[in-house]
Amino acid sequence: MERTSFDIVVVGGGAAGLRTAIAAAEADPELTIALVSKVYPMRSHTVSAEGGTAAVLRDYDSFELHALDTIKGSDFLADQDAVEFFVARCPEEIIRLEHWGCPWSRDEDGRVSQRAFGGMSVKRTVYAADKVGFHILHTLFQTSMKYDRIHRFDEYFVTSLIVDGGACAGVVAMNLRGGTMVAIQGKATILATGGCGRVYEFTTNGFIKTGDGMALAYRAGVPLKDMEMVQFHPTCLPGTGILITEAARGEGGYLVNKDGERYMQRYLPSKMELGPRDILSRAMIQEMKAGRAFEGPYGLYMGLDLRHLGAKKINERIPMVRELVEKYMGLDPIHELIPVRPGQHYIMGGVSTNGKGETTLPGLYAVGETACVSINGANRLGSNSLSECLVFGAACGLAAAGFAKKKASYPRGAAAREALKKEEARVFDGVLGRERAKETVAGLRVEMQQLMERDVGIFREESALADACGMLGKMRDRFAAVGLADKDRVFNTELTAVLELDFMLDVALAIAHSARNRRESRGAHSRTDFPQRDDANYLKHTLAFRTDGPPRIDYVPVTVTKWQPVERKY
Amino acid sequence: MPMTGREYAWKRRPGWWLRNRRYLMFQLREAGGVVCALYGLVLLNMLVQLRAGESAYTAFLDLLRTPPVLYLNVVLFALVVWHALTWFMLIGKAQPIQFTRQPLPWKVVFGINVLLWLGVSGAVVYLIFGGI
Amino acid sequence: MAASDVVFRVKRYRPESGGRPTFQEYTIPYRNDMVVLDGLNYIKDHIDPTLTFRWSCRMGICGSCGADVNGQPRLTCGTYIRDVHKGAVTVEPLSNFPILKDLVVDFDDFLRKLASVTPYIVRKDWGDLTKEYVQYPEDVEAYRQQSLCINCMLCYAACPVFGSSPEFVGPAASALALRYNRDTRDEGADARLARLNTRTGVWECTFVGECSVVCPKDVDPAAAIQTLKFLATMRHMRRLLMPGSSSR
Repeated sequence: MERTSFDIVVVGGGAAGLRTAIAAAEADPELTIALVSKVYPMRSHTVSAEGGTAAVLRDYDSFELHALDTIKGSDFLADQDAVEFFVARCPEEIIRLEHWGCPWSRDEDGRVSQRAFGGMSVKRTVYAADKVGFHILHTLFQTSMKYDRIHRFDEYFVTSLIVDGGACAGVVAMNLRGGTMVAIQGKATILATGGCGRVYEFTTNGFIKTGDGMALAYRAGVPLKDMEMVQFHPTCLPGTGILITEAARGEGGYLVNKDGERYMQRYLPSKMELGPRDILSRAMIQEMKAGRAFEGPYGLYMGLDLRHLGAKKINERIPMVRELVEKYMGLDPIHELIPVRPGQHYIMGGVSTNGKGETTLPGLYAVGETACVSINGANRLGSNSLSECLVFGAACGLAAAGFAKKKASYPRGAAAREALKKEEARVFDGVLGRERAKETVAGLRVEMQQLMERDVGIFREESALADACGMLGKMRDRFAAVGLADKDRVFNTELTAVLELDFMLDVALAIAHSARNRRESRGAHSRTDFPQRDDANYLKHTLAFRTDGPPRIDYVPVTVTKWQPVERKY
Repeated sequence: MPMTGREYAWKRRPGWWLRNRRYLMFQLREAGGVVCALYGLVLLNMLVQLRAGESAYTAFLDLLRTPPVLYLNVVLFALVVWHALTWFMLIGKAQPIQFTRQPLPWKVVFGINVLLWLGVSGAVVYLIFGGI
Repeated sequence: MAASDVVFRVKRYRPESGGRPTFQEYTIPYRNDMVVLDGLNYIKDHIDPTLTFRWSCRMGICGSCGADVNGQPRLTCGTYIRDVHKGAVTVEPLSNFPILKDLVVDFDDFLRKLASVTPYIVRKDWGDLTKEYVQYPEDVEAYRQQSLCINCMLCYAACPVFGSSPEFVGPAASALALRYNRDTRDEGADARLARLNTRTGVWECTFVGECSVVCPKDVDPAAAIQTLKFLATMRHMRRLLMPGSSSR
């Protein structure tokens, strides 16, 4: 039984987690920081982000404009004070990353380039060809190696938080390679575990995006905010769900239906392919329903046309798009249409935090896709998410560092020891001891994913949502019967899959119930039975609190500062 | 007590270099390097025999002309040529010293080097057999 | 077995049972567009949940899923079964690494080596935080190729030198060292070359070149190492002639 004690414990090694750890390390050379991740940090899903990261860097742009674009994009559900804080700090984060070696693409004069992106009025998306997430992640990971005081716990799977005296005192984690449980104590704990896309069947997300941090906070009594706000990205490859970046449209790509028509002129003529993602995804579904889609072995799809961009532009600005399409579709986008269809990509909702990443549980923070501040409201603009990880990672790291410095004593060992014993019993004796019978982890997981895809997708309505809530509740109960064939403790990925399913069921329930209770359409949440936006009743954030039964839903008002909600017209 | 497992130390399989064509070509290339050294020793010995007198030198040349040695030389010479060719290929593939901004296609560098090599070799042969 | 089935021969190793790694065969239904990873997931989900392997992004960018497929180090998410289907598909853990369990290997050693080449921008003066450093497109191009390394370890699995001399710094770490040396914003080339100009550094390399053949991202670590040999030598010569001088 190991035990370790730190000032700050960061769970998750992606852009948000690494930025937080570095910020804390730079804030105070005395602080000790643990970076706990269930995968090696460079495997975090940040790595797959493609298009870019937004910041106001030039004279033709302004914080006002970036804020307005973001707030309008969010369908006025974003907290405007947080958005103002956010946009003002994006530029310094981009520059800081640049100083740390991030290979931003450059203009002829040597300055950082910016491209157009969906929902952005001007070109403010900084990019690194079309591998922005890869470059940001590796820059942050390699820069984090500068600091000895960041102690990494690679391939440690966090199974629960340690709560002592009404505050978070660290985490209990399973050392995958050693097959043991350890309690990692911290004065401050930061959840940066990303989103939960794998609750859906068709998602751009990697296998590891299972909402772990969200469920951990949820189980400790922290509410999940705006969980119904799920983003479906319009351009995913059919079958695999691999993302084709918005940058393809930012660089001038068209979306066409089977008649070769740029159908967006019927839905959003002012912005066409560069409208916000929720509008584009809905437009695609409507085109499909109207019978104007292509048909393929994986269902209906539309065409993304890059042929008019030319080989030079494609190879320079979006080379990975070409690589992915060639490899996974056997097509060359220089000469052929790319088949695309909408898929789950991001969740605007998450652990409810304030502008510093603080949750309602003292000592517990959340940042990145795991958190909901909220700056993205009901729909996120592309390229705001990476900037969010950087800005709030820095803010949260600083806040947590300040909190840890002020806290004189480390958490009591007794609470950690107790939590550790409990988790060992729950996981090793309990879960691991269950025999694999009729109910299997893969079977139940696929059922949940298909249910979410069908009933809590792009278009929602009451009976499907009610059905989803009921079925998910039953799945929660059926989960108790899921057993395991692999009885080893060392690197048991069947066990981690079961624990992840446990997290996902909690998160899926929060999503479904939040969606059912929001009887309006706003941003990405689209109800066919309540097609209008209803500011009078719903200009507020949904809060979902975990109970033994269905989640308890409550609401909290949206913070409006300068921009009075108006109809979201482009 | 918690159960922990052991890592299994990786063991190299004998004949690993027969596993793929490139490893085999690499081993032959390296063997060619040994042969180059051998040729060097042969040349040195030739000088020693030359110094020892005409009969010793002639005897050595006769030895070199015997069928077994000739057949051996065919094989060894092939290895040396392979060693030389792969050397030039490697220059093309690495281009540690570049005269252009971006590396040239390796076949171009390879071709240039081979031409230079043939040129130098031709000059040496001329000097030996044609005289100045 | 249906005509459209394929046999997977997978190397298994259970650390808690000990013993030696052994092959286990599975027959799975086959579709023309399946990759090896799809096969492994099918086995885990429907036949044998104890089969253990790493994966995440399934699009060849996270670097998790390296394995020896029919004796060649490949990313299982990027290898179509139709391309490697020779009667059976043999999947083993990456060569040259200690095996943790089934297809999962221990590569902590690489992370130590990566840390040893100072893989971050080193500068005396960081300058103005409100302005980016000027870097022209051709400057970015100078190190772009080496910056594409996804740390998938295929190059280490392919390198016979690393196989016999595990202290060799290796292809990926060397490529990343060159990436920083070539970055016009960096001033740490001297320390990196000092580190690499050692017996455990680039001089172990005998330019087999297999690392560059297997690299899924065309990083060309072999060329990077030979370039580093040249740079390290130049630095060494400079210091012999002018003691105290350092590379930029």
